[in-house]
Amino acid sequence: MPIPDKIAAANKINDFLRGVVTQGGLHLKYRITVDPPLPDERDWERPEILVEFAGPDSTLLLERGGELLRAVELLAIEMLRLPGNEHEKICFDCMNQRKLRLEELRMAATVAAERVRQTGSPYEFAPMSSRERRIVHLALRDQADLHTESQGEGGRRCLVVYPKDYKPAGRPMRKTIP
Amino acid sequence: MGEQSVDVRALIEQIAKALVDAPEEVSVEQIEGETTVFELTVAPDDLGKVIGRQGRVARALRALVGAAGIRAHKRFGLEIIE
Repeated sequence: MPIPDKIAAANKINDFLRGVVTQGGLHLKYRITVDPPLPDERDWERPEILVEFAGPDSTLLLERGGELLRAVELLAIEMLRLPGNEHEKICFDCMNQRKLRLEELRMAATVAAERVRQTGSPYEFAPMSSRERRIVHLALRDQADLHTESQGEGGRRCLVVYPKDYKPAGRPMRKTIP
Repeated sequence: MGEQSVDVRALIEQIAKALVDAPEEVSVEQIEGETTVFELTVAPDDLGKVIGRQGRVARALRALVGAAGIRAHKRFGLEIIE
């Protein structure tokens, strides 16, 4: 279901970010785009509101794997009270970090798929957010000889790639990125 | 965008009011010290909204407060009062 009133949501995000920039003292500019055009390779991630940051404090946003960027994004999503399965409709990006991370995850998915094929054993990723797990699930959705599952709870929930007809025998797991 | 306009107490209050059901019950106290601590109080029923699942919202708030501290060349902390 699309965000009911995107303009109102964008205005709310703008109010929030104005506070972050002025009261938080962060030297950032930002641009909010409703229904942004998206390149083809992002066909499975279609944000309805895109926020792009620039400015001297971009590096602060991107430190530790974009911790602050994701924090600001989460606060905006919570303010808009979007249900969990609609979080991807809001996307905060800075210096193309999102695109680079998507490419990194897709590459990791390809490497994991090859390893599972070669070894016949499952491949376990390190814990990731639900958004990032979804990207890996979707990157491997057309691989008929594999299947993917999320396992574990909370902050330890991670994605595992299995050979399609895998019969468990112990836990010969490997960890990789992130 | 100068440091003189930094008002982290107001920022926390603005965000908390947008997150909760009872914004009139949001208050933020600023306690000065080696680390400036901001104590956020919300209505008991709203605690979950400022803490979030597995503490994600609280962690995000702390990340933002910490970043504002870096810019203000001070140490800022956030406590959510239960």
